[in-house]
Amino acid sequence: MKRETDYGHSIKSVYTPKDIEDLHYERDLGDPGFYPYTRGYYPDGYRSRVWTRRMTAGLGSSRQTNEVLKQYREMGQKGGMLVICDRTNAMPIDPDHPIGRREAGVLGWPGASLLEFEELMEDIPLTGQSITLLGSCAMSSIRLAYLVALAEKRGVDLNEVHGSVTEYPFCSTFGQTDAQPLDLNLKLWLDSSEYIIRNRIRMRSGILSQHFQESGGNNAQALAVEMAMLKELCGLLVNERGLDFDDVALLPYELVSVGSRFFEEIAKIRALRRMWAKMARETFKARKEKSCQLLISVHTSGRTMTYQQPLNNIARCAIQTLAGAMAGCTAIDNACLDNAHAEPSPLAARMSLNTQHIVADETGVTDVADPLGGSYFVEYLTNKVEEEAYKIWGKIEEQGGMIAAVQKGYVQKMLKESAEEKHREVERGDRLIVGVNELVIPPEEDYQIPIKELKAGDSEDIARRMEEWKKTRNMRLIEEKMGELYANAKKEDRFNLMPSIIEAVKAYATSGEIVGVIRKARGLSYDPLGVLDCPFDFR
Amino acid sequence: MGSSDRIKVLVSVIGLDGHSIGAEVVCRMLMDAGMEVVYLGIYQTPEMIVQAAIQEDVDVIGISSHASNYGQIVQLLNLLKENHLEDTCVICGGTIPKHQMEELKKKGVSEIFPPQSTSESIVNHIVSRCRNRVRQES
Repeated sequence: MKRETDYGHSIKSVYTPKDIEDLHYERDLGDPGFYPYTRGYYPDGYRSRVWTRRMTAGLGSSRQTNEVLKQYREMGQKGGMLVICDRTNAMPIDPDHPIGRREAGVLGWPGASLLEFEELMEDIPLTGQSITLLGSCAMSSIRLAYLVALAEKRGVDLNEVHGSVTEYPFCSTFGQTDAQPLDLNLKLWLDSSEYIIRNRIRMRSGILSQHFQESGGNNAQALAVEMAMLKELCGLLVNERGLDFDDVALLPYELVSVGSRFFEEIAKIRALRRMWAKMARETFKARKEKSCQLLISVHTSGRTMTYQQPLNNIARCAIQTLAGAMAGCTAIDNACLDNAHAEPSPLAARMSLNTQHIVADETGVTDVADPLGGSYFVEYLTNKVEEEAYKIWGKIEEQGGMIAAVQKGYVQKMLKESAEEKHREVERGDRLIVGVNELVIPPEEDYQIPIKELKAGDSEDIARRMEEWKKTRNMRLIEEKMGELYANAKKEDRFNLMPSIIEAVKAYATSGEIVGVIRKARGLSYDPLGVLDCPFDFR
Repeated sequence: MGSSDRIKVLVSVIGLDGHSIGAEVVCRMLMDAGMEVVYLGIYQTPEMIVQAAIQEDVDVIGISSHASNYGQIVQLLNLLKENHLEDTCVICGGTIPKHQMEELKKKGVSEIFPPQSTSESIVNHIVSRCRNRVRQES
């Protein structure tokens, strides 16, 4: 068994004041609520505000997902909802696409039109809880348009809505479904971000290290990749879109993956707070304190949820939830015990939410901010992971920054090597996983968990509904709006497409149609899978 | 067999899911074991996979599935039958629940490997299946 951090640093059997003798409290830690925010953003910690407890929803039709959201509310999900889109919508193509229809509603919500969003949000208020919609970049600019359109329809002041519906342009590099080229994703991300910032909308944009890390990246790499992305993307908003950093700083939020190596995970989050604070002040010359506080949400690691003996995953999830809570974060969503089998069953979802409730209400963790602050081991780990992260981040900057490093394949190579090494560690027994490489039981003896699944017929129903509904729309209005969108998408990248996208969304154009038209304007095929032709005539 | 005495394996993710790292790790395992590997990547339909299997004249098709809609794997098996390739060894991996594993094996999938399956188990299965197939041909 290896006694090393997940990024390969040797761990001693005991830590003493000597290991952190260079630590200076005011300079390196600060009280919670004080720069460099290593210990958190609130002097009273969770006494001011407990983290939001949420579960991912999204399977089957919009109506079915709406039902699940209401069930989660009964299970104690009150502070925020979290919905992930299905594979077709992540590309995006429409659920009635000849290839897309096989997977409509699979692994997520088929959010292909404003109608789908209206059905998703039926009897659910836009205010009073955070609204988070996840899944791919180009599509996310359309999700922002859904929010704008529905708020207007309901007479809700958009500035009262909070959460996040947009996402960073690199997710396809890290194993997420997203069929759009990087330059298009980047342009749309800049558009949606600029729109949010200039209109003072309280929505954040997900710049996530979770995808990278769930694909096999280690903690030091995850921090490096996160900081490199934040630096590049915030830099573009400031330099290319002419925005003020103190406004830009309110946009990003990070979703960090928390695995089972308890102390290292806590150290990772503390280091991230410090790294962002330093970059905000020293690199971007932030003038406001709020700008130095990166919003961090936690996702307990799906990657660690084993196929074998799935009930063990309840224990893993509890350890990870406790780590996230102790590290300090704004929200937690858990991977579930059945993560390696299927989409969350109601039992698994309740188990995950209850785990959060137990941690929040029974352990005393909400009584004290940063309870491990001052621990020789945890402060050492925080310093060490930060140090290693800076080295890797430096290498990414040497490539020319995150975008250049991705274009050169540098980040992908690093990720692949890390994933392969992690696999080998388990094979060699250097890392132990109960039920997998030790204490294995025959599958017949394993506990049979309930499985929630989508049948092929369900996907076809969603596809057929979309097909029929498309014919009932005001096609003249849609063609007019698509014509405008096409003309605007032909302009230079600096021209913000959000207003045109919003108009198209309000006319009930679908996401496949909207992104298809933007693609066509940029000289790409309308359909990323090359099957469908553009149904609109732009003459 | 493939062009040399090496076993030739086509590895592909099936459908629209983008989680490719599992398939990529398996490619590395198979190459380390001396096999010839053709990796198709993501956004592959059953039709595209079968087309490539024919073109590359592979011995084994390895499918990575992350989505809960297994109809596409069944479509793949049917297409192989239509193309007289039912002898091609098809193995699967990914997030596949137990009852689906049983269904798929009944329909002709040779073996299904859950997450964290060892290199040894996958490589040994392929080698023994291919050895048996050669024995049948000769």
